[in-house]
Amino acid sequence: MLSFLYARQSGLDDPVRLRRAESTRRVLSLELNHNRDVDRIHGNGINTLDTEVIDGRYMLSGGSDGVIVIYDLENNSKKPQYTCKAICTVGRSSRHVHKFSVETVQWYPHDTGMFVSSSFDKTMKVWDTETLKPAEEFQFDGNVYCHHMSPVARKQSLVAVGTKDPKVQLCDLKSGSRIHILQGHRGEILSVRWSPRYDHILATASTDSRVRIWDVRRASGSLFTLDQHNGDKSKASSEAVNTAHNGRVNGLCFTADGLHLLSTGTDDRMRLWNSGTGENTLVNYGKVVNESRKGLKFTVSRGCSPEFVFVPCGSSVAVYGLHSGELITMLRGHYNNVDCCEFHPDYQELYSGGKDCNILAWVPVLRQPGIEDDETNSKRGGTQAAINPAFEDAWSSDED
Amino acid sequence: MNRKRALIADTFCLTKRRRCAADSVTGDSQADGAADIRSSLQYLMTLFSRKLFNDSLPPVVLKHQLYSLHNDKTAVDKQVNELRENGELLMFQLGFDSEAFALVFAEDYRAKVLQGEAGRGTLGTVEKFLAKLIPSCSDLSFNKEKMLKEFLFTDSEITQLVKSGVLTVRDAGSWWLSIPNSGKFIKYFIKGRKAVLGMVKKSKYGEVLKTELEGRRTTSQVKFQMKYHIHEIIGAELVECIQTTSGTLLRHVDGNVN
Repeated sequence: MLSFLYARQSGLDDPVRLRRAESTRRVLSLELNHNRDVDRIHGNGINTLDTEVIDGRYMLSGGSDGVIVIYDLENNSKKPQYTCKAICTVGRSSRHVHKFSVETVQWYPHDTGMFVSSSFDKTMKVWDTETLKPAEEFQFDGNVYCHHMSPVARKQSLVAVGTKDPKVQLCDLKSGSRIHILQGHRGEILSVRWSPRYDHILATASTDSRVRIWDVRRASGSLFTLDQHNGDKSKASSEAVNTAHNGRVNGLCFTADGLHLLSTGTDDRMRLWNSGTGENTLVNYGKVVNESRKGLKFTVSRGCSPEFVFVPCGSSVAVYGLHSGELITMLRGHYNNVDCCEFHPDYQELYSGGKDCNILAWVPVLRQPGIEDDETNSKRGGTQAAINPAFEDAWSSDED
Repeated sequence: MNRKRALIADTFCLTKRRRCAADSVTGDSQADGAADIRSSLQYLMTLFSRKLFNDSLPPVVLKHQLYSLHNDKTAVDKQVNELRENGELLMFQLGFDSEAFALVFAEDYRAKVLQGEAGRGTLGTVEKFLAKLIPSCSDLSFNKEKMLKEFLFTDSEITQLVKSGVLTVRDAGSWWLSIPNSGKFIKYFIKGRKAVLGMVKKSKYGEVLKTELEGRRTTSQVKFQMKYHIHEIIGAELVECIQTTSGTLLRHVDGNVN
């Protein structure tokens, strides 16, 4: 680390390089911290977490009991021991609360005045954060598994919704219309994701084992389907040709630059795709245990030099190197299945929520103060190094 | 200023490696290159019991056995593909698992197939097929147009190839490449795998030290060598591999019906 600091200081290296090295070091030392806690509000499992993009201060969580909670992640108390308090909740007593489990929540990408939640009660609600009342409600025919708003869109404000219906619906927040549908899948849509690079590229994953990439500006069908064998028809049995996984595809995540797409499936595999060409990069992550009947929410780190993927695997979170495919570590701490995890890019912290109704915060372990600190202390205070702060005063000096 | 830039990843030792005592020879192989995979393949081939099949099968190794010897799965996949492109290695879909691939050295395969075909009428067709297959082709299955147009086989010749065991029916109009007489191999393999997994599962706490398992007496169900099966179950991640101070521990993973 000292070499990075020296290189930065003398101008040999880009400033970004030091930042990336430190971020990587922090991610590699993620651990459960006994000082950091998150308020336990949910009575049932937590299905989804989302941190707002602007400050990274507020976090939304949606649970299986239909309750939505907003937490403040910032530590304003001067103590290291800190519990992230829940600022407000849409609880069971609210008139507008979802009847069944909330599957996905997402902050409005441009400010925290609004958030959108979708649930198994076949509705998607757009909430006003101030009043905690829904400003808009969209009804659907089947359970809503997931929805996503594009994080980079300025001109359009479409929400892509994946439901039990094989048609992907696009709802427009500005006009409230939902006439735009994307046809092509043959099974339930378990996950939808907009690309963080282009505001018109959408990826959808379905129980028919296929992942489709769409350009929403075009009237025709999908751009392409991701094929795990890269067109090599000889590898698969004939029914499995042109599929992304050998089972249901239930998780999608773009990397931060939008150039790669990760997908997980119930065949216990995770695949990395080139999002421009749809090619399988054939990185082998090994067996990524996946038994989820609905969508799996996983995340990729941002700002580190080899990027990391954090995938919930049973009751722990597995950390893989993105391009190397090796398992770095398993983060164990939950008592039951983990359903979702969220990475905080500014502090390199990971929040994960699961069926045990806990949200755990994984914080990088700071380096312990070295031996030099003890020496300087003893030089300054002499024999009175261990003085009780209650007896210290501001006017007496020890130097006589 | 000419300065070679090191990767940030190299500065941080990405995987902590605890020193473990008394483990088998092939623990860490860090050197890259196809030569390394080839030597691992040769080692695994020695574990294959030839006498069991009366020498009619070439030594078969499963691709995921290599994962138990090398850490980086992506690199293993890449090197196996390189060997296949060079025509040194052949890969087969075994049929009982969509992810289980068998690897055979090309010369061994050719020798055994021709040995099995000696004296039969189908010898000529099989020789022609092998001559087309081995130098360049790295496909796992063939469909009808390919056989007729590219390889210029007639229908009756295709029937002869299926009869000789070199091709297996996949579905109407397409065939998998296969190893003749491999049915017995697959049967013994599945039985043996189930038996070894059962041994791990029945142990106290569902876990057993790898060295202890290697030393156990094999039941009549297990026809192959213990080490062959152990590499296979580790590579397929049917057991969890944990490094302890007394060696590698294999722990049974829940949710595996095998």
